[in-house]
Amino acid sequence: MPDGKSEVLQGTLDLLVLKTLEALNPLHGYGIARRIEQISEDLFRLHEGTVCAALLRLSQKGWVSSKWGASENNRKARFYSLTKAGRKQLCRETTNWERVAGVIARLLQAAPQR
Amino acid sequence: MLSYLRTFVSRIRATFQHANTDRELGAEVQSHLEMLAQRFRSQGMCEEEARCAARRQFGGVTQLKEDLHERRGLPQLEIVWRDVCYALRQLRNAPGFTAAAVLTLALGIGANTAVFAVVDAVVFRPLPYPEPDRLVSFASWVTRGTPHADDLSYPNFFDFRSGNRVFEHLVCYRGEEFSISGHGEAIHVDGEIVSWDLFPLLRVQLELGRSFLPAEEKPGTHVAVLSHELWQNYFGGDRNVVGQGVTINGRTFTIVGVAPRDFRFPVDNPSVQLWSTLAEDAAASEYHPLTEQRGARTLSVIARLKDGVTVEQARAQMDSIAAALAAQYPDENKNRASTYILPELERVAGDSRRSMFVLMAAVFLLLLIACANIASLVLARSVEREREVAVRAALGASRLIVMRQLFTEGLVLGLLGSLAGLLLASACLRVFLPLAADSIPRISLAVVDRRVLLFSIALALFTSVLFSLAPALQVAKVDLVRSLKEGARSITGGRERLRSVLVSGQIALGLMLLSAAGFLIAAFVQLERRDLGFKPDPVLTFNLDLPQGQYNTAKGIRFSEQLLERLRALPGVQSAGAGWPLPMQGNQVSVSFDIEERRVAQPDRPRSDMAIVTPGYFRTLGIALLEGRDFTDRDDAQAPPVLVVNQAFADKFFPGERALGKRIEPGASNGDGAKLREIVGIVGNAKQSPGGTAPDPIYYFPFKQLSWGLGSIVLRTAVPPRSEESAARAVVASLDRRIPVYQVRTMEELSARAMAPPRFLMLLVGSFAVIALLLIAIGLYGVLAYSVIRRTPEIGTRIALGASRSAVLSMVIQRAARLVFAGLFVGLAGAIAESYFLRTLLYGVMGVQPEGTSLLFLASGAIVIASGMAAYLPARRAASIDVMQALRTE
Repeated sequence: MPDGKSEVLQGTLDLLVLKTLEALNPLHGYGIARRIEQISEDLFRLHEGTVCAALLRLSQKGWVSSKWGASENNRKARFYSLTKAGRKQLCRETTNWERVAGVIARLLQAAPQR
Repeated sequence: MLSYLRTFVSRIRATFQHANTDRELGAEVQSHLEMLAQRFRSQGMCEEEARCAARRQFGGVTQLKEDLHERRGLPQLEIVWRDVCYALRQLRNAPGFTAAAVLTLALGIGANTAVFAVVDAVVFRPLPYPEPDRLVSFASWVTRGTPHADDLSYPNFFDFRSGNRVFEHLVCYRGEEFSISGHGEAIHVDGEIVSWDLFPLLRVQLELGRSFLPAEEKPGTHVAVLSHELWQNYFGGDRNVVGQGVTINGRTFTIVGVAPRDFRFPVDNPSVQLWSTLAEDAAASEYHPLTEQRGARTLSVIARLKDGVTVEQARAQMDSIAAALAAQYPDENKNRASTYILPELERVAGDSRRSMFVLMAAVFLLLLIACANIASLVLARSVEREREVAVRAALGASRLIVMRQLFTEGLVLGLLGSLAGLLLASACLRVFLPLAADSIPRISLAVVDRRVLLFSIALALFTSVLFSLAPALQVAKVDLVRSLKEGARSITGGRERLRSVLVSGQIALGLMLLSAAGFLIAAFVQLERRDLGFKPDPVLTFNLDLPQGQYNTAKGIRFSEQLLERLRALPGVQSAGAGWPLPMQGNQVSVSFDIEERRVAQPDRPRSDMAIVTPGYFRTLGIALLEGRDFTDRDDAQAPPVLVVNQAFADKFFPGERALGKRIEPGASNGDGAKLREIVGIVGNAKQSPGGTAPDPIYYFPFKQLSWGLGSIVLRTAVPPRSEESAARAVVASLDRRIPVYQVRTMEELSARAMAPPRFLMLLVGSFAVIALLLIAIGLYGVLAYSVIRRTPEIGTRIALGASRSAVLSMVIQRAARLVFAGLFVGLAGAIAESYFLRTLLYGVMGVQPEGTSLLFLASGAIVIASGMAAYLPARRAASIDVMQALRTE
């Protein structure tokens, strides 16, 4: 990565969005993008449009619900919140991620064999 | 899994709320962008910079929208919709092609839909009772002569009923005439005499009152159930009529119930309006009651199988009873030791099933011919569209996509055609159904309903696949570069070959259809031309009911004498008589007899159809007296018993002998025992059965010596027969006001009615053949005309190089001839195979067997002539090509 930023791994964006919504419920797409930016300390390169796509995907699956509301500076925005099914899905994806991450971490720590 | 389902549902919802969600999405993206821009502005960027930065940070807006759009709805559905819109646009741009294709399809699908509606009503539609497939028809199986099913007599029926362990109910029925009086004018209604449990057997709840009780089969009870229509029309829908006494046939009947609206039994006789119990036949009268005559076989039987019992099991049990009855009553039952059980639905359709099969096959051929025409049209058009297809392919459309587009166009055409066909079908039904009248059971029930609709849609799918197949396969072979470079002309060869094959195939199918139509027409002509043995014009006939309660035999005879005398005295009436059954009305009663010189035991006696007539009957109907004398008024109960037989009867039972003066002893009597009767006259063979050309042997009893019923009155008139109707009615009323006159018809009408089923079949298949001929001519014309246009430069060159115009003319004609004769050659094989099959079938349906070979020649001739006319126009155009112009276009 030339500027030291990482691409968001395929499939992890859903997890990031769900996790963000668990912490800040309800929130609009812009807010979610900001939150991910903060948490990642600007290390993720993210086209914010993909957050919108992820939100549509999640609401089609019934994991988030949405309604229109007003943002902090009184702008019309769509607010998303986690549904019960979404919470379960977050749980599943978290465990899954931890398992995968653990495996990868072990793999990387293992001493190279000559 | 669940989340997949949710996604799917939300996609479907989105598909139908596109505009709405698209707007929402736009708003959401917009608000996101503005918030981003706001942030950049607050970091010190100017307005313009902030906007750009926001867009960069957000990513491609349009891409995202497209991505979301595709993800949100059902893209497949949208593609189909887009294809359909495109297809509609294409069709609108080629109105001539569309009109021709839709019209052809409408003809093919319309005819098929109409025929399906008829076949469905006659053959397939379930009987209108609960669990109709458990209903069977039950009959005796007669093993003497040609084995056949036959009606039962009451005593046999009772024995089957009491021994029955396989049927829930076993019910007998027979038609009877009833006259109702006392509520205004006396009317005649057709009724049925049934055993008590008809309604429980059918599982039909009455609208009012109750059904019959077992005790109401006892002689002396007179009960009736009315049809809803009779109750409404004659009794004014009066609910109090149930339980009341009503004068029927001169006796007081108690009305016990009213059947529900649209209830029909038997389903093949919609005129039945009243049901009574067999107590009517058990009543003691001058005659031995019908219920005690084991030899009087008058009953049809319907039964409902018990749950779990198969037809075979039922037959086995009934057969064992029949065998026991044959052993116990050999005189009546010797040749009836087994039974015949058949699903009631099949009995109702009866012989019509075969005609229906012919209709379906014929109309399907027509559909195939229509499909070939459309395929040919589509092929010709696809040549014009070559460039379009090539451009689309060059722009990245895969062959699959182009083929899908072609099939979609086919489907749209097919559905349009099926829509037009449905309209045509309901119009056809309106025109053709009256031709069949009530001569084919249940045919009047034919309507365009949901089943017919589904059938027509299925046909649309089937045909569109059929006629899109050839063009779609051609697309698969398109050479992109070449067709873009030089247009269509270079690669049309394959297409033209395919179109030629289609035309030849059409002609082959057409020959089969035409020769089938020829067969039917020949059979019909044979029927029309046969010698009926009587002169139907100008004769008026009508029926009347003598109420049994008031008219015993002697009174009935006196009434008939007075009636005929007064009728003969009417101005315009030349002669009058009465008889039953009339010619062309089918065989009704056959009675066995013993010949004096060759006496045999009861079961081995010969039998023949019989009729009962009054003096004047033969003269009135124009039946020739060949030998001996007609009946006279003096042939009454006191005079020596006599008979008149027809020539066929004499030839059959007295071959090589003189029948006149011979004496036979028929089983039919006035209740005073069988008598030896002398044959005093021999008359010509009047056709009794509507089908066939063979004469029907029959013997005639004088009404005064066998007074079972007066039958139909016949009047030969000097004026148009219908004009005598009111005078005749007045004569009857002058004798007795309570006697209803009904079924007033001319003998012509009666004979025509008997010819209705073959006429119906012939007219339908004939019209299909005419349409087919037209389609074939159009198909051939299309192929030739197109090839002449395509070859204009070539033909121009030929003419320029010295070819005579007649040579050009014959070139085109020769091409046509090759196509036509190839088709005829193939079709001939099919038609010959078909003719064997048709001959047997026609013999079964109409009793005639037309000769095949000449018909095949005629059918081929019709095709050749039609093709010649179709080929002449393009040929003449080819011959009259303007050389300069033709060469300039090159």
